[in-house]
Parts: sequence; structure tokens; C-alpha cells
Amino acid sequence: MSTGFQPRSAIHSLSAIPSVGTHVLCTDTDHSFTLNPATFPMKTYVPDPNRFEASQTTLVIDRFMNQFIKIGGIGIIVVVTGIFIFIGWQILPLFQAASVKLMAEHQFDPNDRYVLLGQDEYGELPFLVKDDGTVVLYDLIGDRGKIEHPVSIPAADAPPPAESAESTPQGEESSAAAPAASDARITAIGYNHRTFEVLYGTSDGRFGKSLIEYLPSYGAKNERLMTAEVKPDSAWLPFKVAGAPVTRVDFGDAGTSKLAAAIQDADGKPEVSAILIAQAASLFDVGEAEVAALFDLTDQIEGTPDFILVNKTADGILVGTREGTIFYFFRTGESIELRQKFVPFEDLPEKGISQMNLLFGDTSVVLTNAKGNNRVFSLFIPPGKNTRLWHQTKQFPSLIGPAETYSPSGRNKAFLLTAGNEATLRFSTTEDVRYDKKLDFPIKLSSLGLKYDSIFLLDDKNKFHTYKLVDPHPNGSLKSMFAKIWYEGSHEPKYEWQSTGGSDDFEAKLSLVPLIIGTLKGTVYAMLFAVPIALLAAVYVSQFAHPDVRRVVKPTMEIMASLPSVVLGFLAALWLAPILETRVPSIMLICIMVPVAALLMGQAWNLLPPRIRIWMQQGGHEWWFFLPVFFLVAWLGWTLGPVFEQNFFVVTEPDTGLRIADFRRWWPLATGTDFQQRNSLVVGFVMGFAVIPIIFTITEDALSNVPGALRSGSLALGASRWQTAMRIVLPTASAGIFSALMIGLGRAVGETMIVVMATGNTPIMEWNIFSGMRTLSANIAVELPEAAVGGTLYRALFFGAMVLFLMTFLVNTLAEVLRQHLREKYKMV
Amino acid sequence: MLQQKEKLPQKLANERASGEPWVWLTGMGLTVGLLMVFALLAVILYNGVMAFWPKPVVYVQLEPNSEQGILGSNTMGGEITEQRSRRVQRPGPDGDPVIVLLPEWQLHVGNKDKYGFAFKYIDLDDRQVKTYPENALKIERLEYGPAFGEPVSLNLDGQPPLPATAPNFREAFAKAVKEFNERRARIRQIEKFEIGDINYEMDKLRLRDRRLTRQFGPDNVPSREREAIDTAQAKLQDKYQVLATEAQNLRAQQQASKLVISLPTGGENIIAIGDIVHYYFPNQMSFIDRLAQFTHAVFAFIVDEPREANMEGGIFPAIFGTAAMTLLLSIIVTPFGVLAAIYLREYATQGPFVRAVRIAINNLAGVPSIVFGVFGLGFFVYMVGGFIDGGNPTPMPAMGWWITALATLACFSLAIAANFFFGQTNSPDTAALVKKIQQISPVLYVVGGCLLAVAIFTCPYFSGLHQDRLPTPTFGTGGILWCALTLALMTVPVVIVATEESLAAVPRGSREGSLACGASKWQTIQRIVLPASAPGILTGLILAMARGAGEVAPLMLIGVVKLAPSLPIDNYFPFVHLDRKFMHLGFHIFDLGFQSPDSEAAKPMVFATTLFLIILVVVLNLTAIIVRERLRRKFATGAF
Repeated sequence: MSTGFQPRSAIHSLSAIPSVGTHVLCTDTDHSFTLNPATFPMKTYVPDPNRFEASQTTLVIDRFMNQFIKIGGIGIIVVVTGIFIFIGWQILPLFQAASVKLMAEHQFDPNDRYVLLGQDEYGELPFLVKDDGTVVLYDLIGDRGKIEHPVSIPAADAPPPAESAESTPQGEESSAAAPAASDARITAIGYNHRTFEVLYGTSDGRFGKSLIEYLPSYGAKNERLMTAEVKPDSAWLPFKVAGAPVTRVDFGDAGTSKLAAAIQDADGKPEVSAILIAQAASLFDVGEAEVAALFDLTDQIEGTPDFILVNKTADGILVGTREGTIFYFFRTGESIELRQKFVPFEDLPEKGISQMNLLFGDTSVVLTNAKGNNRVFSLFIPPGKNTRLWHQTKQFPSLIGPAETYSPSGRNKAFLLTAGNEATLRFSTTEDVRYDKKLDFPIKLSSLGLKYDSIFLLDDKNKFHTYKLVDPHPNGSLKSMFAKIWYEGSHEPKYEWQSTGGSDDFEAKLSLVPLIIGTLKGTVYAMLFAVPIALLAAVYVSQFAHPDVRRVVKPTMEIMASLPSVVLGFLAALWLAPILETRVPSIMLICIMVPVAALLMGQAWNLLPPRIRIWMQQGGHEWWFFLPVFFLVAWLGWTLGPVFEQNFFVVTEPDTGLRIADFRRWWPLATGTDFQQRNSLVVGFVMGFAVIPIIFTITEDALSNVPGALRSGSLALGASRWQTAMRIVLPTASAGIFSALMIGLGRAVGETMIVVMATGNTPIMEWNIFSGMRTLSANIAVELPEAAVGGTLYRALFFGAMVLFLMTFLVNTLAEVLRQHLREKYKMV
Repeated sequence: MLQQKEKLPQKLANERASGEPWVWLTGMGLTVGLLMVFALLAVILYNGVMAFWPKPVVYVQLEPNSEQGILGSNTMGGEITEQRSRRVQRPGPDGDPVIVLLPEWQLHVGNKDKYGFAFKYIDLDDRQVKTYPENALKIERLEYGPAFGEPVSLNLDGQPPLPATAPNFREAFAKAVKEFNERRARIRQIEKFEIGDINYEMDKLRLRDRRLTRQFGPDNVPSREREAIDTAQAKLQDKYQVLATEAQNLRAQQQASKLVISLPTGGENIIAIGDIVHYYFPNQMSFIDRLAQFTHAVFAFIVDEPREANMEGGIFPAIFGTAAMTLLLSIIVTPFGVLAAIYLREYATQGPFVRAVRIAINNLAGVPSIVFGVFGLGFFVYMVGGFIDGGNPTPMPAMGWWITALATLACFSLAIAANFFFGQTNSPDTAALVKKIQQISPVLYVVGGCLLAVAIFTCPYFSGLHQDRLPTPTFGTGGILWCALTLALMTVPVVIVATEESLAAVPRGSREGSLACGASKWQTIQRIVLPASAPGILTGLILAMARGAGEVAPLMLIGVVKLAPSLPIDNYFPFVHLDRKFMHLGFHIFDLGFQSPDSEAAKPMVFATTLFLIILVVVLNLTAIIVRERLRRKFATGAF
């Protein structure tokens, strides 16, 4: 093979056919040509033996390009599908279950009797409380080990306040005690996890608390060192029956008012009382705590009180009895009333309560009975009432036995329950069990991380187990996005989208249903307006109009299709909406009058002498003649609108008794729904601009492609042009028309800017034409720029994008397959 | 025969063709559809043009007891921007209220610094006298929008006041405004470019400092380096001081001279000449003058930068940003779209797979643009951008990474070797194997490509190109490159479909002729097929550009801003800044219409911007349509 010099022309003309590769095509060197002496002035020509060989460069370039194009082509197709794999990959974490991983185990002295377990915000310095009230901090990160803070009960030197005069005998007794340390014991321990306060009830019927003040400090390399101070109250305040040991205690701190409630054991007779604590606070110092009011609740409670809870706003007390009844007391100022009495497990044979605790936010209470049945009751205003009452909203799967410990998350509506050796993590909003496992040790105490990132357990041998919890999206499930959810504060389960709220304990409401309804609403109104016009125009242009019309109309429609949607949206919102707002009756009149005028005109035209009719029929210029009529009718409708309004849309103003003709007021009175300026009518009308050209173009193509022989045959048999169009052409092209509708639908579903601009973007679920909506696409455009990367909202919005994509992809595929099918059919005809 | 001819009309006259009214109904569909297009274009055209056309300034004297006056005065003056009807309920003859439509004017009264608002509605009923004072002046200012009034005197710094009645007043005023505008240009030159240069140098020094700190630790930076940075910084600081003082002096001069005008409502307004951008006497203009003013306004609108929250001034950065983004988009989309189309049409075996791919590509064109925006945000901005800025925070362990890298290499080398070097083997056994490898080479390439992507993304030896700027993101936030890439993905189906169509339109004979002459497959494509289908490819590209230029929703997520401090192309290395955020005509419309503090004042600007965007998109589309028509005609006659 020669690699030497070759004339340039040889490279061009002698390239090999690719399938043959480098094989020499012909090696017959004896063959010679007769050559034009002008080009080759030699007498004889000995052909180059390698003349049929392709140059190496050509072959390499060819090979390279063949490969390159193949890889490039396949690569691009892979990349394009990669888009949806990526979006899918982004939403996958939403559906992952919680992962709980054992991190470390620490053995404590098995003889210690711990009754409470709590932790700081970062889960670095948890604390345990012994039954004598000693707070034991335990350093999980560094090497400080256990730090013990025993509690000393101050003497009850302050006499009980005058209001509680009925308890004077006992009060005098306690005031006689020595002013130094008291010899009372701690008999009840509670924990206010909202403020890191350990609550104590004493054997002499008093209430005190220790604040565990966590103080993070940061070192040179920005590493965190958590230290804590334990600050016990200086004065411990008495409950109703002095001297009677406290068995249960709870405390709510609403800043200006604080409420403590307790159950006391007065010689076997349970006493329930609450104290309202006033603490004069100046700018620099907090004053001495005093009892401002004492409430005796014993008389109002039937049965044996066993549990007591106070909410964080210090105005609600829940008392649960051994018999399974819960009493809800509500405090207003310095008076308290029994507001509700309910039996949470009324329908079950086992009514007794084993655990009763408030959920983060304090508007829900988590209840478990002795059989392990688990329910959540929430506060809401039932329809027809005006106070908030407790009602069951959630039902969870049962535990293996009565729940022994409970721990709420400080970030969301999750809670940890344990029963025996079963630990279960549940998410209240979606009624979802995030994690449930039977461990190989019985659990005595538990604590769920405040940031919902750790679980600490203490077993009966005083072994301390720490677990890392990874569950970034507890409320991300198909249920929360597509099912009715009973949110806190609501009186019924509903579909709702509200991604952010004002307070920390806000439940993100991520139902996609209102958005899908909104999307469909916008689409339906756009299609209602666009489909008739587009189909009529397409039928006319393809069947009746002059061929020249088609040449002009199609590019015009294509330009209309290319109008940026931001322009349409802007015109809709700032130009059209204010005009349409006051002119709804006129629009209604025009919508009725224009088609009627067209039909009448057709009827009238049919009465004309045949000569004129034939001339115009052949010309296909009806639409020109209709133009002035259209203007006339539109003007008539526009001016007659107010007259129409005065006769049909009159409301009587309730205050003045005046009768006012105003459609904007008439509509809400007549239908009970809203009238907004930026409404679905405007959106439907303007979205029509985006959808009409698409439907028109594809329908027109489908109709024009119907073989001419069919038309001619029909006309020859004496059918009129309308009969031919309706009975021959339309049925033949029906699949194409359907696919045009589908593609138009796809465009309307995904339209973003028009909806963002021309509606109020409220996620509502109604089909009222005079109110707005929020569509999936607008929702993404509005919320994604503000969503935290990787958060639940971010991924939920990606999920919305996926739903949108699937909707349009399915619709478009259907249309495309139909169109291809149709093409095959024409081939046969 | 004759008899029949006479009979026919008689017969037709009695029988009406069935369904004719319905034909008219379909005709109505066409009329309404076309009217919608033209009405829309007309509304935009009219309002867009009227935004620039100088209107006369009218002084209105209201009824003495009218409640509509401004500042207690019953005269007011300004431009009439809109006439509309207001619904009023009035008692009718029989006691029932009757709706009356009262005409009212929207008057652009300007002088927002004095009145606190710029627009006022007045009932036509309340108007008493309408005059057009000869001397009425409209002043476009840097702040508070335009001022309307009659000039009183010109108080130039250090000179006695020149009353408006003086014969040389107009001349002196024109000269002053010209001089002050030149000085403003000088201030801008200093602040934007000369001080901009210093800022650029300062930024470079700061980055160097941060890099050294990262390398050596905060306390161990070599003293020589530290000193070099400090001296350079001090030098720049000095330079900055000089320039800043100069700019300050110039600014003081701008404010020193004043023009006094009398307001239509009575009272005077003193305007610093330095704040006057442009002025004219609208009531003295001939048609030619108006046309000149119109041209000036259009020109200023195109070349100026926006002022006052985008409500005044021009849209140059938005035009530039749109153009830059569209250009970038077309550079990206063309090779990929054409490549994919050539593969699908010329190389791939036509079968169910290719048909499915084709349907999928057609459908992609129908996927909502916002979905692409979501992808662009998640993938380009946060994933790729974050990686370019600071590397992968959780890279693969070194061992695993090297295995991946080797596997990548193996995939590629096997595929390349099979296709390029094993070709000449003689042994039939190896030949069969090589053939097999050649057949699966596309799979090898795809797997290799995926592995390569994984290897790059999880590389433990790469810690980002803009680490020193972190946590301020460079590529890890929206930018023009990401917008162009996202829109390229969105429009690639348009190019693929158009290219495929035009490739299919190239007659089979052309290809066969070329191959028969001995050209290789690539040579045939390169020299016969591609030139023949070039107009079709161009059509696809233009359509893609038109779609890309008008799209806003995805850009809102990934890099378009209300006001960009600098253009994506400037005189600082590397000149093209693909990481920068930019302004866009479409987003400008959205922003002006929906996020501006005074939507009435912004309305003319929105319409003008809309007009520009529409012209851009319509021109692009018309070009595409015309090219396509030509192409069709060419193939209609040139087919074998």
C-alpha cells in the first residue's frame, strides 16, 4: 500500500465504499485508457497502480465521523432521557423510610434509678434525672463523663397565698418548718421539653423546677463545646393540699403567665389542683415567683386522675383518669372552666390510658391505651361551635403493649413511643409509622432528638444506647401528596397546599391535588374557548376556503403560536382583565350573538339567487363577508351588555335597599362563589391564543391530508360540501383531530407565565370560572426559587414537575401514536 | 342541451344545499381566530409606539368646586394617557338605578417629587377649560419621572438668573443641558470604568490573599507575599481616592445650577440641571419635530440603561442579555441537534427503536418549559455548578475512583480499538470477535460515557475552581451559561425534527450518485446531504432561537435577574463571563408589569419592551417560514 504522494483529485474520486473498507477494489494494472490529449499530453499513460485505493486520511476521517456521529447521536438521546432520570433521582429521597443506626452504647451504674431522660438541641450532652431529683449530665462527645447536679429542696418558708384559705391548716404546718433545707423528698418528676426545665413535685405538696441552661461555646477551629448549668428555682410553690405528696406534675410557660398543675395523693384521695404563677419581671431581673391564683379541680373530676398535662400557652389543662376519661380545663384570666370531657378509647374494650402526652405545638395529644392502641386527638373548632375542642384525628397501628415512654420531636409532628422492647417512631401528620423495631432489651427511658436527628434509649440494666436518626422527609409520601390529610386545627381531612407558615410548629401541607385540579381547571377553560374556534377555522380553511387563504393563514397562525407566553400573560393581567371585569355580560352576549349571527347569515345567504351563491362558493371568501357582520355584532353585544346586566343581574343592597345592577356582585350572591378580577375566564381566553394555533395547524394538516378522491367521490354523488366535510372528511381525519386536541391540551397543561401573571395563584379546589387557581407549573415558578435545596418542599416541587412531565408526556405520546397510525391508514387509501 | 341549461338554475333555485349555515359558522371560526391575532398585534403595536410618541401637554382648568384638584389648585397639566369609561349608578326615571358610563381621562401629571403621585384620573364632566400653553415643557429627569411645567428662569452657577422671557434663554438652556449631559457621561466613565478597574484589581488581590491563607494557614502566609498584597492594595486605595474625589467634585457641579419651572398647579419647582436627561417643548412641535423626538426616544430606549427600578431609561442590558443568551443557546444547540438528526436519519437502522426515539423526541418538544427549568436548577446550578465551584464534598475513596477511571478507559479504548485498529485482522476467529465488539461499541461508548461522568463527579483530587470565593457561589448559582444550556436542551427537539425533515427531503438519488462516484459515507453527508439540507437546519435553528428568546419561566429559576450590575461580556479577562446573571426582555416585561413600585408609570415601558420582544420573535419566525417555503419550492422542482 502506497502512502506516498497522490494527486489531490485521487483522494476525492477514489474513496472506497465504506463497507469494503481498505481493501483494494481493483489491482488490474494492465488496463489502460484512451485519454484526452489536452489534459494529459503524454503519449501513453501508465495508470497509478494504487488509483483505486482510498487515501488513509479519508478512511480515518470517515471512520471517525461514523463513530462520532453514532456516539453523539446516541449520547444526546441518552442525555435527553437523563433529564427525567435526574428528576426522578431528586424525588426518590421523599419516599425513603427513616434510617436508625446504633452509634454507641454506654454502661451506667445499674443501681442508679433514673426516671427521666432528656437532651440538648444537638444531642451532645444528654441528661438523666435520678428519682431523688439529681440531674446527671453525660458528655457524649468529649471525655467529661458524668456531671452530677443534686437538687436541694428549699424550705417552705413562704406562707400560702390568701386565696387558698381553705388549705390553711396544712399551710401553717409547713410554714413552721425550718427556713434552711427542707426534709421533703422529691415524689414526682416531670419535664418541660419546650424550655429544658425539669419539674419537681415534693412530698410536702410543693412544686419546683430546675432549668438546664445549655450554653454552646465555639473553639478556635469552630468546633462546638456544649456546657450546661443547672439552675433550680429559689422558691418552691405549694399546691392545694400542703403536705400531700405530689404524684404527677406538669407546667406550661407562656411568658407572662405560667401554669403548673399537679395530682396529689392526700391520704389515698387524689387531689387535682393548679397554680397560676406570677413573676414580676423587670428589664434586668426576674422577680420572685408567686402564686397568683390557685384552682381546685378535684370536684369536677370523676374517677381517679392519673395523668395531667399543661399546654405551652398556659391556658389548657388535660387530666386523664384511670377509667379512661379525659377532662379538658380551659383557663381565661384567673378563672378556669371544664370545657370538655371525652373518652378517647370509648369504642374499645380497653379504655384505660397508658400514655398521654402533647405533641410539638401542643394542639394535639398522643394517647395510648393499656392494649397499645395509639390515637391522636387534636384541638379544632367543630362546625357549628365556637370553641376549640378535642376530637380524634389520627389512628395508628397498635403497639405490642401499653406505651411506657413517650418523646416528641422539637421540629415536626413526629413522636417516639416505646412499649417493652418495641420502639416506634410515628409521624402524626400523615399517620405514618416511620420506624418500628423490637430491640433486644426492654426500654426504660427514651428521648427523641430535638432536631429529629437522634434517638437515645436507656434499658433496664442502665445501659445507654445512642442512635443516629436520618429521616429528612417524614411528610414526603404519596399519601401526603395525594390523599386527604387531617391537619391540626382543621375540622375535617382535606387536600391542601400550603408550604410555609408563620410559626415553628407549622405543618407543611403538600397536597398536589389542588394544584392538579387547578391545572385541569385552567386547561378545561382554555380548551372550552380554543377548541371550537380552532376546529371551525381548520375545517373552513381546509374544506371551504380559497387555497390562497391557506397560504396566508397558516404562517399567521404559526406566528401566533410563537408569541412568548409572558407577553400573553402581561396582556391578560394588565390589559384584558380590567376590561373584562366590568364587561362580563357584554362578553356573554357576544359569545352567543356571534355564532347565531353566522348561522343566520348562512341561512340568509342560502336564499340568494344561485348565480351569486355559486360565485362565492367557488371563491371560498365567506369569511371576508362575515367580517363586517362580526364587527357589527360584536359592537352590538358590547353596548347591549350593560342593558342586559340591568335586566338580569340585579342585586338588592342589604344596607340601603337599593337595587344595583352589577354582575360582579350578582355572581357571588347567585352562586355563593367568588368573583375575582384575575379569573379563569381571562386565563382561558388568553391561553386560547397559545392553544388555538397548535390545534388549528395539526387539525388542518389532518383534514388536508384526507385523500382528494374521497372528497371528489362524495361530491360527485351529490353530497353538499358540508355533508362531504362532516360525513367523509371529518371521520377519516378523526384520529388526527384527536391528536391535535391532545397536543393542544399538553400545551395548556404546561403553560406557566400566563397562569402566574393572570391568576391570583391561590391553591383552591373549585371550578368557578370567576375565580383563579394555582397550577402545577405556576406553583413551581412561584415556590422553587425560595425552597431550600434538598428540603422536603424542594423535592415535592420536583415531584410536581415530574407529575407535570408525565401528564404531558402521556398525552403527547398518545397523540403521536395516533398520528402515526393515521398516516399508515392514509397510505392504504 | 339548451333546455337542460335553462332548467338547471331553476332546479337549484328551489333546492338549497344542505348545511350552508354551518359552513358560515366555520367561516366565523376563521374570522375570530385571525382577528384575535391581529387585534393582539395591533394592541401591542399601538401601545408600544404611543409610548414613544410625544403627546401634547394639556392644562386643564376644573370646575371651581371640583374635588379632583391637586394641592388645592383647580388647574393641572400633563399628558393624556388614557381615556376610559367609569361605571356610575344613577337613579333612573322609575327609581331603579341606571348604569351610566362616565368618560374620564387618565392624566400623567408628572412632578412626582411635588405631588407624591404621577397619575390622576379626572372626570370629563369636571373639566372646564383646556389649553395647550406654548411654553409647556416636558423634562425627563434622573429621578421622580418627568416634570411638566413652564420655564421661569435658568440659574447657572455663578451667573445671574436668566429669565425665560430672555431671547437667548432657549439657546442657553440647550447649551447648559448639553454640557451637563457630557459631564454626567464623564462621571459615569469614572465610576463605572475607572473605579471599576480598581475594584477588579482589588478583587483579584483579595482572592490571592484568600488562596494564600488557605494554603499556609491564616498566620503563616509568607511575609513577602503579604507585603506585596498590602502595598498593591494601598496603591489602589490611593488611586481610588483620587478618582472618587474627582467624581464627587463633578457631582457637586451637576447640582449647582438650577432650572426654575412653574408648575401647572401653581408654585415653582427647582430642578438641578444635572438631573435633566432630556427636554422638549411638546406644544410647539411640528410633525417633523415629533418624528425626530420619536426617533430619539426609540434610540435612547434601545441604547440606554434602565433607571428608577427599570421604569425609566432604556432596555439595553435586557436586549444584550437576550441576544447573548440566544446566541449561546444556538451555538450549543446546533451541533447537538444536527448530530442527533444525522444519526437518526443516516446511521440508525430504521426500526421500532428509532421510531420510539423519534416519538420521544417529538414529545420532548411538548414537555412544559418549567420542567426543564426545574432540571436546570437541580442539575446544572446546584450539582454541576456546585461541583465546579468547590468540588464534590463527598468524593469516592481513592481506590474506588481509580477502578472507575480504569474501567472508563477500558471501555473507551476497547471500542476505539475495535473500530479503528483491529479492522485489518486476517484471522477469521478474531474477525468474528472484532465484529462483535464493533457491534456492541455504541453500548461500550454509552457505558464509558456514564462511567466518565461518574469518575469526573466523584474525583477526590479536584476541589473546585472557585474555592477561594466560597461560600459565595460562582457557578453554583444561576447564570447565563446554565440558562443557555437548559434552553438548548429544551429546544434541541425543534432542531432535531427540522433537521431530520430536511435530511429526509434530500433525494435518495443524490446520495446514491455520490456513493457510486466513490465518495465515503461521511463525504456524502458532508458534501452532498448537509449542504442540501442547510436551509432546513437553519429553519430549525431559527425556530429554536425564537422559542428560546421568548421563554421566561425556566429562566426565572436559573439566572435571570431584575437588574444585572454588569453585562455578561466586558473588557475584563476572560471577557465572556458565563457565570454572570443577566437581564432578559421577557423577564423585564414580567418584572415591570408585576413587581414595579408604580405599575401605571411602568405601563408604557412594558408595552415598549413587549413590542421589541414581539418584533424579535416575529422576525425570527417569519425568516424561518420564508426559508422553509423557499426550501419546499426548491425540492418541489429539483427532485429527481
